[in-house]
Amino acid sequence: MSDNRDDFIIAIRYALLKKGAKQKFSLFFLILLSISIITLDNLSLPFMKNARGVLNDFVYRVSVVSSQPSVFKKYLVKKTIQHFNIIDENKFLKEEMEYLKRQKFNNAYLSTENQLLKKTLDLSSTKNFEQDFFIFAKVILDQKSPFLNSILINKGTKNGIEKGMTVFNRDYLMGSVIETNYLSSRVLLLTDLNSKIPVMIEDSNVNAILEGTGFKKKLLLSYLPDNYEIEPEKIIFSSGKDGFLIPGIPVAKTYLDKKNNILIKLLNDPDQALIVSVTNGKNN
Amino acid sequence: MQYFRTFKDKIFKSLPVIFLYYSSFYHFTLPEVGQINFFSFNFQMILIYYYVLKFPDDLGFGNIFLAGIINDTVLGMPLGATSLSYLTLSLFTSYIRNATLRPLMTAEWFTFIPALFFSNLVYLVIINNFSNVVFYYVELLQNTFFTFLFFPIFHYIFSQYQRLISKD
Repeated sequence: MSDNRDDFIIAIRYALLKKGAKQKFSLFFLILLSISIITLDNLSLPFMKNARGVLNDFVYRVSVVSSQPSVFKKYLVKKTIQHFNIIDENKFLKEEMEYLKRQKFNNAYLSTENQLLKKTLDLSSTKNFEQDFFIFAKVILDQKSPFLNSILINKGTKNGIEKGMTVFNRDYLMGSVIETNYLSSRVLLLTDLNSKIPVMIEDSNVNAILEGTGFKKKLLLSYLPDNYEIEPEKIIFSSGKDGFLIPGIPVAKTYLDKKNNILIKLLNDPDQALIVSVTNGKNN
Repeated sequence: MQYFRTFKDKIFKSLPVIFLYYSSFYHFTLPEVGQINFFSFNFQMILIYYYVLKFPDDLGFGNIFLAGIINDTVLGMPLGATSLSYLTLSLFTSYIRNATLRPLMTAEWFTFIPALFFSNLVYLVIINNFSNVVFYYVELLQNTFFTFLFFPIFHYIFSQYQRLISKD
């Protein structure tokens, strides 16, 4: 028991007083110094205040300098995060820009289409279509031939109707005058095999020729671009490329039949036409 | 060439002291990014404990004392409180060193607990009696716990470092 205590005391004494080869101060001395400093600091003596002031100034400055690597690291982390955010943002903005570009084109097209449709709607009121000739006529005869789809109207040269004039039923193109008489005229319907008008397809810049086949629900588009696939539920407008018809007159529509084939039908049903309007149809 | 080698050796040898002073001037916390300070630990205590235990000549008591004074100045504690706390740790460590016959990492790790206890006890006594600083005991306990927990990691790092510089 006594030996153990002696060992403990020896070890403590050794630890307190022993200075290593390179140690300048013993632990005992430094502990005493610390206690003295604590006491002096607690007494708030004037010289201690001054000493602490000087020490503070020095230590704070060095502390600011020593914190710079951390500040720099934080700066780097922040900048790196910002950089990656910018990359993501850039990617997002590019996609958005592409989308907006597409939208812009779409808007331009819609705007054009809107103008054309406005003009087309004006046709129904038959006031501002900028034609210098307009007249209503009654369908007096509807030819039921599969090879020649035509109707006869009760207006002829007497009323100023000329060959080549455009005939509308409601707002839709119906055909053109192919034969004029003094009191009557023959209108070749769009469904006729001989009917060929330049058209364009909705939401595309595709131009084509709409040909009649003898059937009102089975028209044909020829001179389409290679590999172009027609989509269903698209309106076909007159393109005005012939320099005769006004562009933007809705003519036909694509649709899916029961066998999922895409076909083209007229917007106007010629069989239902009773009163038609005849215009010179020129694009002014 | 010889001069450069000596200079390099001195730098490597002084690195623990440099770290001790650096950590006194600048108190870093482990998760520096973000606001979570959960894993805060006292690096200086680990450094002092390890070097006083293993290489007492590399980290002089004078440096430990001065580092404590700097620490108090930076943190605004009563001057000498940290010094006395670190010196208590050094005293306890020196005692362990003298009393240990066969050094084992696990034994050193567990003797770190009473070393930390006495060191923090001295610190708390001084803070409570010589200042009006309000102290969060839970934070101190948390800090002490993680200081204890991280000791093996730093033990390994310091051992590897010492092995590296002793090879040179």
